[in-house]
Amino acid sequence: MKLILDVKQMSEMKETSANSKKSKDDFEPKIIAFTCNWCSYAGADLAGVSRFQYPPNIRIIRLMCTGRLEPEIVVKALSHGADGVLILGCHIGDCHYLTGNHRTKKRIAILKRILSYRGIDPRRVKLDWVSAAEGYRFAKIVTEFTNEIRRSGPNPLKELA
Amino acid sequence: MIGKIRELAKRWIAEGKTDAIFGLKEENGHVAPNLFIKKSELERLVISPNYSLCYTLRPKNSNIFSLLERKYPNLKIGVVVRGCNERALFELAKRDQVDLERIEILGIACTKEEALECRCPKPYPQNLLVGERVEGVTNDDNVEALLKKTLPERLAFWNHEFSKCIKCYGCRNVCPMCFCQDCRMEKEQWVKTGVLPPEDPIFHFIRFYHISERCIECGECEKACPVDIPLLTISKLLRRDIKELFDYEAGLDVKQESPLLTTLDETLIKRGE
Amino acid sequence: MMYYKSVLTTCPYCGCGCNFYLQVLDGELVGVLPCKSHVTNQGKLCIKGWNAHEYVFSKDRLTKPLINQGGRFVEISWEEALNIVVKKFKDYIDNYGPEIFGVLSSAKCTNEENFLLMKFTRAVLGTNNVDHCARLCHASTVVGLSQTFGSGAMTNSIGELEKANCILVIGSNTTEQHPLVARYILRAVEKGAKLIVADPRAIHLVKFADYHIQQRPGTDVALLNGFMNVILNLGLEDREFISERTEDFEELKKVIENYPPAYVEKITGVSKDDLIDSAKTFAIANLASIVYSMGITQHTTGVDNVTSCANLAMLTGNVGKRSTGVNPLRGQVNVQGACDMGALPNVYSGYQNVTDEKIRIKFEKAWNVELPSKPGLTVVEMINEAKKGSIKIMYVMGENPMLSNPDINHVKEGLNNLEFLVVQDIFLTDTAKLANVVLPAASYAEKDGTFTATDRLVQRIEKAITPIGESKPDWQIICELARRMRSNQFEYTSPAEIMDEIASVTPIYGGITYKRLEKDGLRWPCISKEHPGTLYLHKEKFTRGKGRFFGIDYKEPAELPDEEYPFILTTGRIMFHFHTGTMSRRTRLLNREVQTGYVEINPHDAEKLEIHDGEPVSVKSRRGEIKVKALKTNRVPEKVIFIPFHFAECAANVLTNPALDPVAKIPEYKVCAARVEKLSDTI
Repeated sequence: MKLILDVKQMSEMKETSANSKKSKDDFEPKIIAFTCNWCSYAGADLAGVSRFQYPPNIRIIRLMCTGRLEPEIVVKALSHGADGVLILGCHIGDCHYLTGNHRTKKRIAILKRILSYRGIDPRRVKLDWVSAAEGYRFAKIVTEFTNEIRRSGPNPLKELA
Repeated sequence: MIGKIRELAKRWIAEGKTDAIFGLKEENGHVAPNLFIKKSELERLVISPNYSLCYTLRPKNSNIFSLLERKYPNLKIGVVVRGCNERALFELAKRDQVDLERIEILGIACTKEEALECRCPKPYPQNLLVGERVEGVTNDDNVEALLKKTLPERLAFWNHEFSKCIKCYGCRNVCPMCFCQDCRMEKEQWVKTGVLPPEDPIFHFIRFYHISERCIECGECEKACPVDIPLLTISKLLRRDIKELFDYEAGLDVKQESPLLTTLDETLIKRGE
Repeated sequence: MMYYKSVLTTCPYCGCGCNFYLQVLDGELVGVLPCKSHVTNQGKLCIKGWNAHEYVFSKDRLTKPLINQGGRFVEISWEEALNIVVKKFKDYIDNYGPEIFGVLSSAKCTNEENFLLMKFTRAVLGTNNVDHCARLCHASTVVGLSQTFGSGAMTNSIGELEKANCILVIGSNTTEQHPLVARYILRAVEKGAKLIVADPRAIHLVKFADYHIQQRPGTDVALLNGFMNVILNLGLEDREFISERTEDFEELKKVIENYPPAYVEKITGVSKDDLIDSAKTFAIANLASIVYSMGITQHTTGVDNVTSCANLAMLTGNVGKRSTGVNPLRGQVNVQGACDMGALPNVYSGYQNVTDEKIRIKFEKAWNVELPSKPGLTVVEMINEAKKGSIKIMYVMGENPMLSNPDINHVKEGLNNLEFLVVQDIFLTDTAKLANVVLPAASYAEKDGTFTATDRLVQRIEKAITPIGESKPDWQIICELARRMRSNQFEYTSPAEIMDEIASVTPIYGGITYKRLEKDGLRWPCISKEHPGTLYLHKEKFTRGKGRFFGIDYKEPAELPDEEYPFILTTGRIMFHFHTGTMSRRTRLLNREVQTGYVEINPHDAEKLEIHDGEPVSVKSRRGEIKVKALKTNRVPEKVIFIPFHFAECAANVLTNPALDPVAKIPEYKVCAARVEKLSDTI
């Protein structure tokens, strides 16, 4: 399953013991972003081409549709070193597969509740919509989310592993 | 009340309304599910302690009703159900795991004591035939305690609880809503196999997420856990959330589609779409 | 005819004795449902119990008797098979006498079957050479607790652990081996009880312990003497209990004086402070319980280890009260029962000595035959004698010494040297593959009978389906053989009748009948039809009157590491498989969890040898060599490796040392010397 390997590889970046002892000021969050091929990934491309700046903390994974994303993958990402997970799909009504993002919206809503009961901050998972033309919006969302996670601090699940 | 239930069951068999009655049988002080075919056997029909009637028999991965339906296409069974059993049947029917046309529901109400013991929100079935409705339990101590905890406190609490887990799969085995042939909890690629305690949080998360909109709050998962993990707490909270987010309560309306199978404006997403 | 029913029976795996309902639809096993009203498991099961029905209908089940014709197994009829066996038995008795027989009974078979097999061996074959796998696990318990308390069984019952104030778990990986016992230990901890776990490995239970005592393998006597030294020095012993209920305290005191914490630290590796703190915690607790298993028993000093546990319990007055006691956790489902039924070379049922003339006369009268008076051979001794040629025929029921005995290569030589081997089992095990005749037996789901759990609870198993193919319940096979050997003492129409005979000659089972077992089982001693059974032992007095202290000195294990073999190899079990794997490795979910064996090695040791996680390595000992994959883990301390023994393709027992405890004759599975090497040609 290539997707799982990508997540594992990307978020399991070599953490030396020095890194894990960094103070909150030095903390640089690792963000995984799941994007969809038709809208948000294209939007990310556009942000790059247009030279809109966004923090380098992010690792982008391209899916055909966010409706393909099982919430288990998000939990795996959080368990394997991601401090935040960003899920960006097409705007409601614009999904290339018509109702894929409907499913995403409902699933992520349930996922966030389960995370909050488990004791994991649900704000570490963010679902938003970015169209292929919204390069600036992409960069803005990523920047804001990265700053927010930086403020929240490292993911406490890391100590579990 | 048990006398009335037995009488009704006997009548159903005598009148040919059903070919058999599915319920609990008492023998030497022990109680277990049984298919009563003769009227005389019904003297041993009891209703307590409750067992999960529709749990999935493995490795066939079907509940008993589905197995009987396949083997005996013309069979009509009367089933003695409490509120929770009926909710399970409704949810299973929605997913083609049970054919309600071939089941006659003999609904019985739980007593106040029984409702309190199971912390049940709706201790009576819709097809209630014997017994008086009592109020369900709305406040739950474990749920309140969890909600009062801060996020770090909740994390520490569940880290401790789930570290006791011995991967018996009892919570999944006894749940009427868990019937996948290919259960994700068993898969190496999601949960490292052969390790105790099982990989946390993914192992338990898979179950909570997969049953989130189907959970009927029967509490059997918590009762089956050998190390007393308070699993029902999260299930109860999720059930409240499903109601809040999607105005859906599992097991109440056999016609209402599961919210994860509908679009945001509640149109059913047909299979293959 | 259509029917669906739930048949209440006892789980066939471990000694917890959980009950569940086998779900039967039209004569087919379709599932398992735990019994909510059972005193021990209360509606819960472990992963093995939940899947205990699956191996019953495995396509590997033996369905017809087999005869070995030049390496090939050919199916024959029961008539032929039984006649072949009986003729061989009769010929050899006539030509060589009965002492050339060795019989292995089964801790997986029912009480009735064990009783009949030992009766057959003694009354029909005429020898006391009958033993079973308890020799390999709790023989030291039977000797150790008999000599200290007078009775070799678990003193209290499983459920009582919940109310203990302090529990010392020594040499038991309880959450993995006896999950439903661990349930009560964890409940006690939730209620505030103190938990001390003494184990060389960082087992799962350690997460919930107040103290993890990581002693070197084989140093338990020193550790326990250290505990007692601390307790005596702090004046925390129970003086009243010692003076009123025990004898030979001075013997103990003399030896304990030589084990101060500093000296114990040198031997065991356990820090002085940990030793003192945990000893104090144990001694000041109101109700303290000792739970132990293979880590204590499977040593050349097994009896000494068990005796030291008993010493500690008596010193602190923790025997004969609820929620206290010395609690050996028996591994197999009916190993307690097999011992109770006298499938042992030196006792009849109920631990009545074969050398005691009065007892022997009682049995001679009951069975109308003269009985041999010389105690027989034990399991490992039988194999040794088979190799020498003095044991020529072995009859093995439900045992697999080719995987469970130590030094497997030697076992193979021994069994191959036999002139005739009969194996009665449900699968063609590695042992059965060496047999001349294989008899197909019925599983637990296909017969009636009783099992005795580790806490002396005798309970029923019930027939749920008809035996597969032509397999027969073991008791019927034994009766057939006996009848053909002209014995009229085996006319039983049901296991209930066998139990009636057991009750008539076995005082501790005296009050047990099938009718009385119907509701909740009975815990022995149950001496008469009115007796309600006994929850915990030694209440007002010990079975032998007064408890006896023994002054035990520490002795080193038989084989310690040296330059050539620098690691301590310790063996054991895991949650997902069971013993020789004949049942668990035929279960889908259990195989999915763990497919094959591994060797646990500490990361520091692995790095020094440049071994990566998952890499196949060679593990060698003076007995042999196996290839197995490495598992880097901090669970084992440095210089110690652990291999689970369930897997025939990388069998830990190829390496283990058949050195025996001098009295109990139990092998030292827990300590031997080994070396680990990278494989010279990597794939």
